[in-house]
Order: sequence, then C-alpha cells, then structure tokens
Amino acid sequence: MNAQSLLQMFDANALRAVAPMLALALGLVLVLLAGVFPLGRAVRSALVVAALVASAVLHANLLLGGETPGKVLAGTFEATSTTAMWGLVFVASTLFAWLYSVRYYDEDAPFKNEHDVLMLATPIGMMLMAGARDLIVFFIGLELLSIPLYALAAFRRDRARSVEAGLKYFLLGAFAAGFFLYGTALVYATTGSLSLDMLADPAQRAALGSPMALVGVALIAASVFFKVSVFPFHLWVPDVYEGAPTPVTALMATGTKAAGFAFLMSALVLLPASTASTVALIAVITMAAGNFGALAQTDVKRMLAYSGIAHAGTLLLGVAGAIHGDPSNGGAVQASLVYMTAYVATAAGAFGLLALLERDGGPTTLESLKGLAQRRPWVAAALTLFMLSLGGIPATGGFLGKYLVFSVAVRSELTGFAILGVLLSVVALGYYLRVIIAMYMQAPEHDANVPEPRPASAAATLASITCAALVLATGILPGWLLELT
Amino acid sequence: MNIPTAHLLYLSAGLFALGVLGFMVRRNVIVVLMCVELMLNAANLAFLAASRQHALEGKPALQGPIFAIFVITVAAAEAAVGLALIIALYRLKQSAETDAAAEMKG
Repeated sequence: MNAQSLLQMFDANALRAVAPMLALALGLVLVLLAGVFPLGRAVRSALVVAALVASAVLHANLLLGGETPGKVLAGTFEATSTTAMWGLVFVASTLFAWLYSVRYYDEDAPFKNEHDVLMLATPIGMMLMAGARDLIVFFIGLELLSIPLYALAAFRRDRARSVEAGLKYFLLGAFAAGFFLYGTALVYATTGSLSLDMLADPAQRAALGSPMALVGVALIAASVFFKVSVFPFHLWVPDVYEGAPTPVTALMATGTKAAGFAFLMSALVLLPASTASTVALIAVITMAAGNFGALAQTDVKRMLAYSGIAHAGTLLLGVAGAIHGDPSNGGAVQASLVYMTAYVATAAGAFGLLALLERDGGPTTLESLKGLAQRRPWVAAALTLFMLSLGGIPATGGFLGKYLVFSVAVRSELTGFAILGVLLSVVALGYYLRVIIAMYMQAPEHDANVPEPRPASAAATLASITCAALVLATGILPGWLLELT
Repeated sequence: MNIPTAHLLYLSAGLFALGVLGFMVRRNVIVVLMCVELMLNAANLAFLAASRQHALEGKPALQGPIFAIFVITVAAAEAAVGLALIIALYRLKQSAETDAAAEMKG
C-alpha cells in the first residue's frame, strides 16, 4: 500500500467516524499541556469536560444525523448507530467517574493532572473496542483502556491497598492480554485473517471449526471474559474494586464492562452457534458466584463489586441468546445497550455516593451506613434508588434492562437458564435491601463514632442528580431509549 | 534451510506454556512480569510463522508482522506501568514478592 492510498483512506467519511475519538485525544493532549503551565484546576476541569462533551456531541451526531459512515479505514473500524450509542455510554461512564473524582482526593494530592489525562484515555480505548472490525484494532483499544486503568487503580500510591489493587489488576490484565494475543495468533494461523468480517465468511467459518482455531477462539473469549469479570475469571474483581480509588472503581465497573460487552456483541461471528448453552451455563454460574459472594460481604464497596460480577452474568445470558439466535437481529444488541445504559447510571451513581461517604472518614461498611437517612437524607434516598435499580425493581432502569435480557434468553430457547437467572436476581435483593434497611431502619451503635457529614462538591451533586434522573427516566419512560437503540 | 511452520507453532506453544506456568508458580513480581513477556513473544513468533504460511506468491502476508510490531510497542508501555507499580510496592513493603501484595482477601 503506498502513501497515496493511505491518504485516500482518510476521507471525510472516515474522519466523521473517528472524530469522537479525535476530540478526546485532542482534549487529552491539551490537559497534558495545561499541567505544564500554572493554569490552575479550573482550566483543566474545563478542558476535560469540553473534550467529553465534544465527543458526546459527535456521537449524537452519528446517532441522529442520518446516514452513518459504516466501515472505514480499509474495513478495520466501524461507526454505526449502535457503536455511536455505545460511545455515548462510554462518555457518560467516564464523565460520571471524573465528576466524582474532582474532590475525592486530598486537596494537595500530587499528579491530579496525570489522573485526568489517564481518565480521558480510557474512553478512546473503549470506543476502539466497540467499533473494531479487526483484531489488531481491538487489541490496541483493549490496551488503551487497560494500561491507564492499571495506573489509575494504584493512584493513591501511599496506600498499600491501592497499590495492591493496581498490581493485581496489572498482572492479571497482562496475563489476559497474553491469552488474547496467543488466541488471535492461532486464529490467524488457521484462517489467515484478522478481520471480523472476513472471519464471518462461510468458508472461513468452516476453518474456524478446526481444533486449533477453536482453542484460539476459547483463549480470546477467556481474555474478554476476564475484562468483563465473568466466572471463572472474576476472582480479581473484589480486591481490585475495593482497593482502587472509588471513582476509578466506578469507571472500571461501568466503562470496562460496557466495552467488553460491546465487543462480545460484535465478535459473535467467532463463536459457533453450538456454544450457546455453554455460554448460558457460564452466565448462570457467574450470577450465582456474584450474588452469593455479595451476600457474605459487610463492606458495601466490596459488595457492589460482587454485584457487578452478577450483572456481568446477566448480560452474558443476553450474549448467549444472541449466539443461539440470529446475531443480526437487533434484539440482543438492543437489550445489552439498554441494560448497560441503565447499569452505567446506576453503578456509577452508587460507587460515586460511596466515594462521597468515604470522604467523611473510613471505609463504607454496612455498620457505617446505619442511620444515614437522618444524617444525609438525600444521599440515602439516591442510594436507595440505585440499590432498587441494581436489584431490578420495576420503575427503575435496572428492571427494563433485566426484562429485555431475560426475554432475549427466552426467545432463544434458553428458558431454563432464564428462569435460574430470575431466581438468582431474587437472591440479589437480599443484599441490596440490607443496605436500605441499614440506612433507614437501624440506628448507629451508641459507642460508634459517627462521622460528621462534609458538604458534597458541586460536581458530585451534579453527577448524582444526573445518574438518578437517568435511572428514573429509563425506568418510567423507556420509550426514548428504546427509540435510540 | 526451511523450518516447517508446524515446528515454529510447536515452539511458540511451548514458550507460551512456559510463560503461563511461570506466571502461576513464581512469587517474585519481576519474574512474573518476565513470564508475561514470554507469553507475548510466543504469540509474536506464532504470528510471524503464520504470516509466512499465508504468503501469497512468495510475499509474506503483512498482518502478522504488523501485529507483532504493535505487540512489541504495547508490551513496552505495559512494562513501563508494571515496573512503576513494582517500585510503588517496594517503597511500601520493601519487597517485590507477590505475598507483599496480599492484604485483601475473600
């Protein structure tokens, strides 16, 4: 390929497809530069918000602006209304995490600038993952998402737990990357192709059935399952989520999961239809592992980590449905998009509120939440809403997502797994309700030192209100979301 | 001299297995990191062998070497962050063993 044909690939169409990522990259460079000059926090914050808003606007333009670019850059990247909707989910997840991080760290914490730069890099990786039509592009996206998160998880490097979280996430993440690469190499060795579209070709699908390619596909699936915390690759999640700074946890829990599932939905071509029931079984085991693990927790942050595992299991049931049925019918994609939109708002809000409470002092255990309804009525009310949505109570976004995913599973004749899934969701209510009971019905012990509430920052308040509004809007008036997806 | 592709793939599988094994049993974080690098390089070798296999009219396929270059670049970035994390761990615990980072359990 000569230089001229390379240039021709970057036509207006391609530019429109990658513009949301370019906006973030530009913002990232500007924030990095702003750190060199003594410009202060206001300028840096304005740049971060501007980059994220610009990216969101460009995504909205792709979503609503008529014809989408489709496949660009020699068919390696795709921008459709689906990827645009995923893009909005990624931007929202990053924005919430960032808003909660503004006042989370100590006033004199070093490297706040680098923190924001790393946070801006992650959504670019997520977007690459969601739009990738080639395994090279996906790998770059995966690492662009992961490497900044390794550093962010260990951001409070004077705290042993934060460093431990970063190191565990790094080692297992690098291990998973090795799996992904070797799996890709095996697929490439058998088929001679790295393009998802070429692998979807019937002739290639036959080659994908050979033992070596199947091992390759299994290795790739294992590495993605690791990223989205699916059984048996979920063991790192509680430690990493607990140890990492809470706003970073919010980003990991929402954005990474969304990006992983966006890729799973677009990479279904790799999986033979016969694997559907195996994947459904893994999904149900994941839900069980998450829910029963959460029941045993007293630390709310750790409990939410286990709850995140359970939610990954639910979403994987939708993936199993898509493998079983025709992947091109939009039902499963829509279900996972709606589920993830609601989950991002809910989980980011829940982790964010925990970040807020942590500033009052100490870890957020069930014990420390006792009597919160009297001390901070608004925080308690919002946390209640998020818990109900995580539990899938009607009139919240969580219910809509669960309903759509389970109906995909039923339509795909995975009814038995869907019933098990619903039963496990009922188990989940056990620990979500415990949080609500602690806040509203229990008084703190007499000798407990109840932390004095510190006023919430404007950014955290804004993020909480937006998350709560999104949860209610998707739950009560789901029409707009179903229309968009 | 022409080594058959299958032999190269066996070699890469062996290297990959060694990397996985080392990752599981070694306790020093730096050695664990080296084992990850071994896994990545096993994949690189497989990519290059496969791209020779898929050569068209004597020209090797390009995806393999391109992927390998990307892997090398990304691995460098990953190693930079990883070594920084190891330094942070050493500063806190005066140790680079995995046991030093095992405070959270359950």
